[in-house]
This record gives sequence, structure tokens and C-alpha cells, in this order.
Amino acid sequence: MATSIVVVGVGGQGVLTLARWIGEASLSEGYDVRIAEVHGMSQRGGSVEVHVRFGKVVYAPIVEEGGADYVVALEAVEAVRAFKYLKPGEVLVVNKRVIQPPGRWISEEELLGSLQRSGVKTYIVPAADVARELGSVLYENAVMLGFLSQLLGLPMPPSLDDRNREAFRRGARLFV
Amino acid sequence: MRLLLLGNEAIAYGALASGLAVATAYPGTPSTEIVETLVEFRDRFVHWASNEKSAFELAYGAAVAGARSLTAMKHVGLNVAADPLHSAAYTGVEGGFVIVAADDPWMHSSQNEQDTRWYGVQAYVPVLEPSDPLEAYKYVKLAFDLSEKLRHPVILRSVTRVSHVRAPVEVEPPAPPKWGRFTRDVKRFNLVPANARELRKALVEKWEKIAELSADFITVEGSGDVFIVTTGVAYNYVKEALSRLRLDATVVKLGMSVPVPRSLRNLVGGEAVVVEEGDPVVEVQLRSLGVATRGKLDGYFPRYGELDTGKTALGLSKALGLPYSPPQPPKPPIEPTPRPPSLCPGCPHMATFYILRLATAGLSPVWSGDIGCYSLGINLGQQDLITHMGSSVGLGAGIAVAGKQFVVATVGDSTFYHAVIPQLIDVASKSIPLLIVVMDNAYTAMTGGQPSPSRAIPVEKITEALGLPTFVIDPVEVKKSVEVVKKAVEIVKSGRPAVVVSRRPCALVAVRKARRAGLQLPRYQVDPGRCTGCGLCYNLLRCSAIYRWPDGKAYVDPALCVGCGVCAEVCPFNAFKPEGRREAWLELWQQA
Repeated sequence: MATSIVVVGVGGQGVLTLARWIGEASLSEGYDVRIAEVHGMSQRGGSVEVHVRFGKVVYAPIVEEGGADYVVALEAVEAVRAFKYLKPGEVLVVNKRVIQPPGRWISEEELLGSLQRSGVKTYIVPAADVARELGSVLYENAVMLGFLSQLLGLPMPPSLDDRNREAFRRGARLFV
Repeated sequence: MRLLLLGNEAIAYGALASGLAVATAYPGTPSTEIVETLVEFRDRFVHWASNEKSAFELAYGAAVAGARSLTAMKHVGLNVAADPLHSAAYTGVEGGFVIVAADDPWMHSSQNEQDTRWYGVQAYVPVLEPSDPLEAYKYVKLAFDLSEKLRHPVILRSVTRVSHVRAPVEVEPPAPPKWGRFTRDVKRFNLVPANARELRKALVEKWEKIAELSADFITVEGSGDVFIVTTGVAYNYVKEALSRLRLDATVVKLGMSVPVPRSLRNLVGGEAVVVEEGDPVVEVQLRSLGVATRGKLDGYFPRYGELDTGKTALGLSKALGLPYSPPQPPKPPIEPTPRPPSLCPGCPHMATFYILRLATAGLSPVWSGDIGCYSLGINLGQQDLITHMGSSVGLGAGIAVAGKQFVVATVGDSTFYHAVIPQLIDVASKSIPLLIVVMDNAYTAMTGGQPSPSRAIPVEKITEALGLPTFVIDPVEVKKSVEVVKKAVEIVKSGRPAVVVSRRPCALVAVRKARRAGLQLPRYQVDPGRCTGCGLCYNLLRCSAIYRWPDGKAYVDPALCVGCGVCAEVCPFNAFKPEGRREAWLELWQQA
């Protein structure tokens, strides 16, 4: 059986990189991996959605609606959008960050509150805050990766640079 | 060496291991990374061509001369190259010639869904179809060998979920490039009718031989009376759907989906369920062999969009009359707000659209658009038609001659070289009144920033040579540019064409270069005392770094602002204040 993860966020947040890191980490544990990326127009400030599947043998590169063991969101509005991918009762991991879409303004409280009340096991990770402490919001994906490593039981992928390693460790410590 | 490769990267490495000498492409999602990967290898001839036809011809010519060559494009790109494709089957080639076409089911980044395999059927070119990056790597090598053995072009058909899927691939080192030398053969390479008629007969005979060879690409797995014929990425969904349905079946996977092997009829005993991504191309061929199929033609599987494990399991259960209840996706706790793709913060197109709106005020122009980042002008109501590469000037000219409407044709520099120069010749020779705006950001930006010919061959050199009055603006100078564009508008109102070249490189490329150069970008902030909440910046300019705060005032997200300063140029109340200086940044940007 493969573990199915849908990683989402907004173009420019490092969604593809986060998914690739999860892939590298699972590969280093000896798993087979498929990562389905989306390139081109969808990356221009829009919603970005990457599917990661790892296990002993993996065939299908994409996760169907209702088929994800984990939805990992770098942004809260995108967490709501990707909610449909979750298997009943499975796990949502969401970065505490809102990038307002054009049009309707939604408060962070409303978004995160609705997710927490949804009945799904939800982890809210203050990755953006930790990343800012480290000097740049660019590190939020590495903080999320650190948190996920604890949840998924995966090691730190080998390709991280020093700053991202620090972000990873800070993220791992957020998991309790 | 085991690498976590994208399907497209795997194709590139497979080509290198096959002794590739010449590779060409025009970038297009989902095919871009093939040549992007090859560009790094300087001992081969690798080229970003001005369009797919040019790319195809260069690689085809090299293969005619005996070199191993590859050309890559997206599905709609093969339409552009369709003319030489059909000739290539008649003449054949000497060196291995692989045409990679990447389809985009469900149009993640395309204007239509198309199944490249029909071109294989129509042009008599065999189609190999890998199911994942591992096979993509392997099949490129097979395609080169097959092409050289048959002396015939071979199409490698990919789809988004092969090209843009990453998987661990074992990679061999590159083989030395195989170059060639043209040998004269007038009857073979001159497609005048007398020669072409002979070649046509030979082609039809060759096609039957290829159909025999197609059997070499069959793999059979499993057992059972039920036969499932599948190909490409669909194979993966079949494998997982079978275990979900706890179904024993014989899975017949076709590595070559055009032409299908003639022996298939005997193999499947005259009856099969067909699972394939795209159109029912294999299914139609199987029916023509007399196999009773169940697949897309009867509605067991959808005729649009991508497959997945769920759709495949559902289709198989319906086709075979098996019980199956699909997973029920949970309902989101609130309705998610749409987040359509939008122009990046600092995108010069954003300012150009704003300038055009001011300069054409009162004319309610028809906005004749085109394929590229500026397609996103659709969010601004400034793209009324976008149908294909080159449609801006092509269709815009038609609208202009149809009646008295004022037409603005907006096109990027890469698309300009790709697809509008012949149309411009028609516009100039007939003096059709059209305002042509070339948004020259120096890159094919939508596909990740491949260089366009705009530096080597400035747009205005071409338009001026055609006798078209041409004005060059820098879109970050909003007020000055409006006055210049108004002059071009007056020319068009007097019944003649005019061109505006709006020149400033892609902000994404420029920001990357600035970061590398260690340059601190200026950032803009709103002085809430001055902001009246008029909304001009977030409603009309629509910079995606500027939000409407709940009190109606503007707010700049400091994590997104790249310091273009257009907001400050536009704001009537002087509410935007820079932190840091702008001059050095604008200069570096213009050189990016």
C-alpha cells in the first residue's frame, strides 16, 4: 500500500520543492516514489497542487478525491480547497498563513477555525512565523518539512542547505 | 546513477545515452524540460527554435543527413509542425529521428485537449507510449533504434502525468553524439508528385510491416479470461484498480499504441476492455481489427479529462458488471474562494494593460489576445479572444476588416517570432487598421523563462522594415507611456496599423538576477493617512501584491512586493512610499 499525500499552496511558496523533499526523504528510506507536479500557467500566483505517493511499489502518479492519507497545505485557503482529497478520517497539516485570494477577504480565525471544527485530525503549524524568525518567509516549506518528518517518520532529505536544515529542525521540534 | 527525475528529464537523459546529436524545441507545457535539460550539454546542437515547425524541420533535416535528432513540443505544437511531419513519413530519415509530443489532458496549461496519437494514424508514423519516467527513459532509446532500423520517424507520446511526474530513474552516462552527412537521393527527398506517388505506395506497405513490429512492444501480465488492453499512463491506474476490485485479469500493455499489433486479435480472443488516456485511439484501431471492445466508445470511461485509479476502477466495474463503491470525498467546511492564476507582482504586462486602458479610453476596443502570460489579462477584461498561438494579429485583423471596431492585438515577444510575422505582413500590405502591442519581456516566461530572439533581433527592426509606424515604451513609466500610445491610437483611428513595443524583461527573471547580485530591492508601502480607499490600485491596476484591507484601504504585502513602483505612478493621492532606492534596480532589471 502506498502513502498518498497532496501538497498544496500558492505559486511561489515552494510547494514543488516541499513535495520533492518528501520524495527524496522517502527514496532515501528505500521506498518507490511518484511525484506529480504541475507546471506552467497554474504556477502564476494561482493554486498549486502536487501529489506525492510513496510505498513499496507505486503505480498511479495521482491521488483521487477521497484518496489522500495526508493533505499538507502551505496556505489555509488552499487547505480548504484540497480538503476533498482527504480519505475519511485522515490527516490535514496546515501552515498558519493566509494569502488572500482576489475578491473576498477571509480572516485567519474563520479559516483555521472551520478546519479545526471539521472533524478531521488537523495540525496547525506556525511555519510562517518560525520562518520569519529565521529571516525569511522562504523557509516556511522547510519548517513544514521538519514537522512532517516527525508525522511521517521520514528522515531529513540530503539536499538541504544549512539554513533549510535549521528550518527543518525548528519544524521537527514543533511536533509534539 | 539513480536520480529522482521528471519524465521530461528522463527523456533527455535517454536521448543522451542514445547518442543524440541535434535537439530542438519551442517551449510549451508539459514538454519544456526536455530541451531545458539538454541545453546544458554543449557537445550537441541544442536549440530553442522560434516555433515548432522550424524546430521540427531542423531536427528532420539533421536526421535526413544521418544524425540522431530529437524535436520536442506540446500537443498543439505538433499542429504547427504538422506539415513537415506528414512529409517526413514519405521521405523517411537516415539517422534516428524522435518526435516527442506531450499531451495535456484536462488542459492544466493549454487551450484544448488533443490526442497526438491521431497524428500517428494520419501521418503513418508509429507512436510509442511510455507509462512513467522509468519507461520514458527506456522508450527514447527504443525509439531511436526503431527509427534508425526502419529509417522512419517515430513519435514518443507523453502526457502531463508522465512528463511532470518524478520517479527514481537509473541513468547511464551520455554516449558520444552521432552526427551525419547528407547523401543525395533525388527520388526520395524531392516530394514532387511523380516521386511522392511511389513513396506513398511504399509507405502503406511499410506501415503493415511496422504493425507487425508493434507486437515486440507488447507486455502481458496476470491471468484470467478478462482481457484488459491498456497503454501509457493508464496502465498504472489499471494496476491499482485491479487490486482494489480484487479482479484477476490478463493485462495487455501496448508500448506502441499506433499502429496496434495485428496479432492482438488472436491474443485477446476477440474481446477486450480498453483503458487509455485521451481519445479512444487504441479502441478504434482494435475495432477495425474485429475485436469487440468495451471502453470509451460505449461510455465506460470518460471522454474528457485525466484518468485516475478511481475512474478506472469505476469504468472497469461498469464494463464487467462488478460491484464497486467509490470513495466518498469529504465536503470542505467552508466554500473555498477561487484563486485563479494572475500576473506576478511587478509583471510589466500589468502596467502595459493599464497603459492601454488609459490610452484607448472611450474606444471600447476589442482585445484580441494570444497565448502566453498576458493571457492572464483575461482577469482585467482585456483579452476577448485567445484561441491559439498567433491568434492576436490573425483574428484581430479579421475583426478589424469585418466592421468598424477598434482592435488592440496584444502579443508577447516569443509568440511574435513564433506565429505573427506572416500575419503582420498581411496587415502591413493591406494596411489593416489594428493596434499591435508587442509585450516584449525578453523571455518565454510562461514556460519558465527560456530566452526569446528579442535581444538578437529587436521587434521594431522587423515592424519598421514592414513599414509599420512603431513606438517603443517602458511600461513602468506609466504616464509617459500613455502619451506615446495615444499617438499610435491616433494612427489606427485614421485607418492604418501601428505597433507599440512595450519593453521590460520578465520580473521573475529580473528578481532572480537581483538576488544573485545581492541587490536589495526597494519595497512600497501604503501611507494610510493618504490612502482614500479609491481602489484604483487593487481594482484597476490589480497588482497581486496589493490587497484591499477590510476597511477599503490598500495594503502591500511586503513578502510579495518587488519594487516596480507602478503603484506610486498610478496612485492619484501619492499614498505609496518606497523604502530603498529604485534607480539601480530598474536599470539591472532592464538588462535582465
